Amino acid sequence: MMNRELKNQVKQWLDQGVVDLFFAYRMLDGHPLPHAFTKDRIEEVEELVTGPARYPLEKLAGRIMTFYPEAVVGLVARECDQRALNVLSTWNQVGPERVKTIPLSCCPSNLKEHSDCTYLEPHVSGTCKAEMGFKFGSTTEDVELLSPEVRFNHWMYEFGKCIKCYGCRNICPVCFCKECSLEHPDLVGTGRLPPEIPLFHIVRAVHMAGRCIDCGLCEDACPAEIPLRLLYTKVNEIVKEVFGYETGTSPGQSPFQVLGEPRMPG
Amino acid sequence: MDCKIVPSICSYCGTGCGVLFLVVDGKLVGTMPMKTHPVNEGKLCIKGWNLHEYVNSFIRLKSPLIKKEGRFQKCSWDEAIGFTAQRLRSIVQEHGPDSVGVLVSAKMSNEENYLAQKFARAVIGTNNVDHCARL
Repeated sequence: MMNRELKNQVKQWLDQGVVDLFFAYRMLDGHPLPHAFTKDRIEEVEELVTGPARYPLEKLAGRIMTFYPEAVVGLVARECDQRALNVLSTWNQVGPERVKTIPLSCCPSNLKEHSDCTYLEPHVSGTCKAEMGFKFGSTTEDVELLSPEVRFNHWMYEFGKCIKCYGCRNICPVCFCKECSLEHPDLVGTGRLPPEIPLFHIVRAVHMAGRCIDCGLCEDACPAEIPLRLLYTKVNEIVKEVFGYETGTSPGQSPFQVLGEPRMPG
Repeated sequence: MDCKIVPSICSYCGTGCGVLFLVVDGKLVGTMPMKTHPVNEGKLCIKGWNLHEYVNSFIRLKSPLIKKEGRFQKCSWDEAIGFTAQRLRSIVQEHGPDSVGVLVSAKMSNEENYLAQKFARAVIGTNNVDHCARL
């Protein structure tokens, strides 16, 4: 949707009360930042921008909605945002009737000057990372070419850089647990870096099974450039193979709903 | 509905990562990295991710305190500064200017660091100035 049409649509929705808040991006001091457009300051919609910078708008919206339980929000949604919303609504975190989206195209076609996604920008892998870890843009097929021992060493190299910032979990649009396993004192110790590897990252990877919608914000947020998206991609490939469940597009909740044995009725 | 996303800089260390604060009804409720900031490019350490918690912490000091009769008691800024100045002056008089050391850090701005070393050298009269980055 061209910018002019997008701005008009947002203004119309705000004006007519279709949504109370609209989340999109606004240029501020040279930075495209997420912004909550309102009817009170509808003139700000003129400063709405679209571009490659990606924030988890659906996560922001969900957070705001906890403060305003009656609010209906709108947001611009790339395909990954849409998948995240599907998952959030499937797990009862966001009522689908309270969110309205305007799709943003992020198709990586050569006909567009630049695709609207930071993830599609080329990343340069440092020589050490390329040799001892995984280069940016590695696929699961690339990894599976390596023998299990080499593969394990490469992963341990990557995990060893972890500074336990919890950025991957904090930015993840589908992470919403009030009590996070990664902060459970019995599972994850405190006071040293890196955290116990590979356990820390495997705990997260297992929780991402049937949950991760492959947006790559975790990799963007990792200061140590650990190939998290690659790891979660593999986990979800297994979920698709074994259970036939494709996170973000298959209807309903993932097969991992019940902990322990389901209680028999009666 | 008052919801703002405010750009700022992390106040912890000298790196100065760009952060975004989520402000709802005038209260800081969340922190996110600024993806386009040249310093951090959308990444933060654990301290930066939790800025909103310390800003609102109930244990933040809200007024100067002076120890009187073995207990910390609230006092005015004038009283606190006056007391500190008088004690520093008497220490310098009794033990000489080199008995005082001034330690600065990356949590202060460059301007504040400059002021602190000027205070040490020109006012107290000592070269005993050091920075946590040297440790």
